[in-house]
Amino acid sequence: MALNPWLMILIWAIVVIALTGPMLTLPMFWSRRKPDPFRDMPFESGQVPQGEARHRLVMQYYPYLLMFVVFDVVGMFLFAWGMSFTKIPLYASFPVLLFLFLLAAPLGYALHLALRRENW
Amino acid sequence: MEIAIPPDLVFVLLAAVTLIAAVLALQAKELIYGAIALGISFIGIAGFFVFLDAPYLAMLQIAVYVGAVVVLILFTIMLVRREQSDELLDRPEGGQGAVGLWLAGLLAVAIAGVAALAGPNLPTAPPAGNLPVSSLGLVLVAEYPIPLLILALLISAALLGALVLAKVEK
Amino acid sequence: MVNLPATPADLIPFFLAVITSRTFIQIIIFPGFIHVTLVTAFLTWYERKIIARIQLRIGPLYAGGPGGILQPIADGVKLIFKEVMIPYKADKPLFLAIPLALVVMAALPFAVIPFGQNWVIANLDVGLVFVFAMTSLFPLMILIFAWASNSKYPFLGGLRSLFQQVAYEIPMWISALSIVMLAGSLSLVDIVNAQARIWFIIPAFLSFIVFFISIMAELERLPFDLPTAEPELVAGWFTESSGAIFMLQFLALYMKMYLMSSLVTVLFLGGWWGPAFLPQPVWFIIKTLIVATFIIIPRAVFARIRVDMLITIGWTRLLIVALVNVFLTVLLITSGLTAILGM
Repeated sequence: MALNPWLMILIWAIVVIALTGPMLTLPMFWSRRKPDPFRDMPFESGQVPQGEARHRLVMQYYPYLLMFVVFDVVGMFLFAWGMSFTKIPLYASFPVLLFLFLLAAPLGYALHLALRRENW
Repeated sequence: MEIAIPPDLVFVLLAAVTLIAAVLALQAKELIYGAIALGISFIGIAGFFVFLDAPYLAMLQIAVYVGAVVVLILFTIMLVRREQSDELLDRPEGGQGAVGLWLAGLLAVAIAGVAALAGPNLPTAPPAGNLPVSSLGLVLVAEYPIPLLILALLISAALLGALVLAKVEK
Repeated sequence: MVNLPATPADLIPFFLAVITSRTFIQIIIFPGFIHVTLVTAFLTWYERKIIARIQLRIGPLYAGGPGGILQPIADGVKLIFKEVMIPYKADKPLFLAIPLALVVMAALPFAVIPFGQNWVIANLDVGLVFVFAMTSLFPLMILIFAWASNSKYPFLGGLRSLFQQVAYEIPMWISALSIVMLAGSLSLVDIVNAQARIWFIIPAFLSFIVFFISIMAELERLPFDLPTAEPELVAGWFTESSGAIFMLQFLALYMKMYLMSSLVTVLFLGGWWGPAFLPQPVWFIIKTLIVATFIIIPRAVFARIRVDMLITIGWTRLLIVALVNVFLTVLLITSGLTAILGM
């Protein structure tokens, strides 16, 4: 199939949306809809919900989110390197290994900051 | 079996998605909607990368921007309380909208005029062709090792800076 | 070269050409949409049977056919007719749209997974990174859905899900990096072709272990399922889902499981290579089901891990192991062992 693979992915995406869309819209016609203020209350194990539902945010894992952004980029660069690893001489891979080593220190410090609860 | 799809159509559709999502991101009534529209706009840009024969860059765009940066933006939006987040919305005053539209129209006329005057002498990008993706990795490592290391230092500085800032503010 | 129909008279030949083309069969039937949904539904039944047997029960039995195999269809029909309850002041458009987006995002990477030598919908040069880019969108959608539910349990559960999945994405990527280095390409078809002599699980066994653990954390399967654990958070980020919304999320969850199992098969277990007495796609599905079995079994066996320990382990231990593994793979390749193994 010499067809452009991206076109196939687009067609596949359209097919998936077209065939799963009815799974969402048809039940809207087939099921009953009666909004009931008591039943629609957010579930809180039987009690009346108190307080704003969305305001309690854990800051404990925030450094992990930052590290994720950084390692996302690093990961993509590593994939670019890994692809061509067998095609380049070994000494050409040293910059990438040095890249990893250079990142080890901030990683260690970030983990050190992240693991201490009193910082957050 | 192959289907002939005119590339202009693809370009117009992608541009429409990206621009409409970007405008929605600016004009959204709720910040969360704005962030989601921004994510859609990023996906549109990734589509452009695919269109320009840079699939690896497109995947990097989706994985990094939509997968991580938008998550961070949303997290930050949710961090701010409801009352404060309404203050952050920037509603354009009456005259500003009209001035913005007028400037955009001027810019469009200018670009169209330059393109029309240049005629057939417009510089075109060299045809990208079907570069194997591994060439990206080869070039990255073989020809740009110093920028790679500078990038490592830059990323580390950004990470540590963000962590230290967030720690102090809390 | 078939052009788009220019006149109405062209429509019928165009449709005939489309329907009988191999492309159409690939997209719709196998490994296309029908196959993915059927196997996903089968996996729900399969899981309940296996867990039941481990726990000395029988599992679904009465839903028709041998051993209740129509149970997923019964579940689906029931959920379609149930009412969708939207919580008070929840964000209605997002609440309805995100489960659909989840299913689409879970189904989309199937386009690049090769089920056989010629059974792949789209052979991308960057196939593996495409799959990883799509899976990195899941935490985002879970976060949005948790926010849209306007209720404390989903919100907390959604945050924990987000951090858990984000924590285990990086070890997943870095352990897959070893495979990319061994195969020399990001295209999944090339990766499977490179395993013609020896499956990658043998030279890259450490990568396999790290990858498998990361997958179990990504899928939120026990022992990693604190975000959706009943005694802790009711049902985590899909507490407020009901009816069709729940069905879509359930479907997305098991589609993800099928996707990850087939990814393990492609990366480590040699894809569709097998003795020639069975056709290639059959080998692929057999291997994928074996992997899925190993993903399902821990649910009945292990105790749960606390979420903060989970996230910490993901970022410290597993990441270090994955990075060390990269160096080990570099050593492995440069020392020529892979040449000895015949790759």
